Amino acid sequence: MSKTQCSLSVSSQSKTAQFDLKTYWTTLIGEINQELDRAVPIQYPDKIYEAMRYSVLAKGAKRSPPVMCVAACELFGGNRLAAFPTACALEMVHAASLIHDDLPCMDDDPSRRGQPSNHKIYGVDMAILAGDALFPLGFSHIVSQTPSDLVPEQRLLRVIAEIARAVGSKGMAAGQFLDLEGGPNAVEFVQEKKFGEMGECSAVCGGLLAGATDDEIQRLRRYGRAVGVLYQVVDDILEAKIDEEQV
Amino acid sequence: MVFSLAALPSPPITLYLPKKGPNLYPPKLNKMSPIQCSLPVSTQSKTPRFDLKTYWTTLIQEINQKLDQAVPIQYPDKIYEAMRYSVLAKGAKRAPPVMCVAACELFGGNRLAAFPTACALEMVHSASLIHDDLPCMDDDPSRRGQPSNHKVYGVDMAILAGDALFPLGFHHIVSHTPSDLVPEPRLLSVIAEIARSVGSTGMAAGQFIDLEGGLNSVEFVQEKKFGEMSECSAVCGGLLAGAKDDEIQRLRRYGRAVGVLYQVVDDILEAKTTKSKVDEEKKEREELRSFIWG
Repeated sequence: MSKTQCSLSVSSQSKTAQFDLKTYWTTLIGEINQELDRAVPIQYPDKIYEAMRYSVLAKGAKRSPPVMCVAACELFGGNRLAAFPTACALEMVHAASLIHDDLPCMDDDPSRRGQPSNHKIYGVDMAILAGDALFPLGFSHIVSQTPSDLVPEQRLLRVIAEIARAVGSKGMAAGQFLDLEGGPNAVEFVQEKKFGEMGECSAVCGGLLAGATDDEIQRLRRYGRAVGVLYQVVDDILEAKIDEEQV
Repeated sequence: MVFSLAALPSPPITLYLPKKGPNLYPPKLNKMSPIQCSLPVSTQSKTPRFDLKTYWTTLIQEINQKLDQAVPIQYPDKIYEAMRYSVLAKGAKRAPPVMCVAACELFGGNRLAAFPTACALEMVHSASLIHDDLPCMDDDPSRRGQPSNHKVYGVDMAILAGDALFPLGFHHIVSHTPSDLVPEPRLLSVIAEIARSVGSTGMAAGQFIDLEGGLNSVEFVQEKKFGEMSECSAVCGGLLAGAKDDEIQRLRRYGRAVGVLYQVVDDILEAKTTKSKVDEEKKEREELRSFIWG
């Protein structure tokens, strides 16, 4: 891994923070939530859709993948309308991987985003199916909702390939596997793979949608990965602190 | 082999699938019209001239080679081993890839255009079978003549292997389909078709209903599980060859019919096997009883 440098020009790097990240983030969350609500409607068979909505529309969700995607897109001059379908798809795919991660045979997490885990409410079989259904729904959503006048098809295919790479055996699934297996130097690999991948993927997708050049995409890749890994580190430290206090 | 083109009589056969009330079926199935296999196929003469067996078996070999290359062993090895175990199973019939390639060639397409999608369909099919066999799902101890994935690698690895195979399929399509043979908009339609078919309107729904049971779920399940995969494979083949919209619709009905037929035959064979096992056990118990009690 080479050194990661945040070399993107962002106005908040001046001494006084002028960029109001909180407002940017919270308004974006509102818009993403609306689109997700429409993208995962209740339809037959209702139970599956309820289980999918339960996880995707969880109130405690921070929406980092969608926000990263939209922000990266706008950073390179893209229209956020081009990014919204992909941003929602990233959230669906993220939710799907969390549902599976929480399963008893995986991390066995009883709660997620401030509410009981999906399998606690709907059962293990439904949770597996809900995750299995959310992932392709993300792809469907990208293809059916991305305005073709804003994003040429070739770029959209690259977005799809990027997400497929990130969640698959080179990415998050690998991370989860190592999380379970342990082994030498597994920790960094896991951190890289789990949230690093999602962070990297979201940033890259945003850049692709805006038509960023290849070297700009590379820089987004390192940036997104750094943010994702940092997030994971902070999350693990907080978790260790809570465990320590409980002991 | 369940379905043989050589067995098709002429004129085209007509299949009527039962129509149900709107409360019990999703809207689109209410509009089911009779299915006619009306695609021009040379076997509709009295003497079968199309050698399906050879076509199928040579295609299987090519697909297997490509799948072997598409799912190599790399770090972390265990996941890839688990994925390969299911995807490269010797007992696999490769019906989705064969349907895809055949549909593509039927409309004048180059099979090189179809191979990546054909492989992806097999990956996605394997992934859904791995998850279907899990203890909390259908709880099948064996698949394709070997122990199920979770029996060998454990439930957690089986879930992950399935989770990894789905996206690998999509990635494979995008990275390996020659762009000079398939324009990007058509490739996006292929991706959308596969996503639709495996998702909550397709196979996942079928599996859910399979678990839940409920009124009139049998037809729905048959439709959704194998009907979807087959429909999807045929449609993808047609899309790759540049078939027109009405041709795609006919492929859709054809693929669905083949898939449902396959499922029906499979279920009947399973019922026969179970019945003969039950009959055998009953016979054994009676023999034992008469031995003990005279």
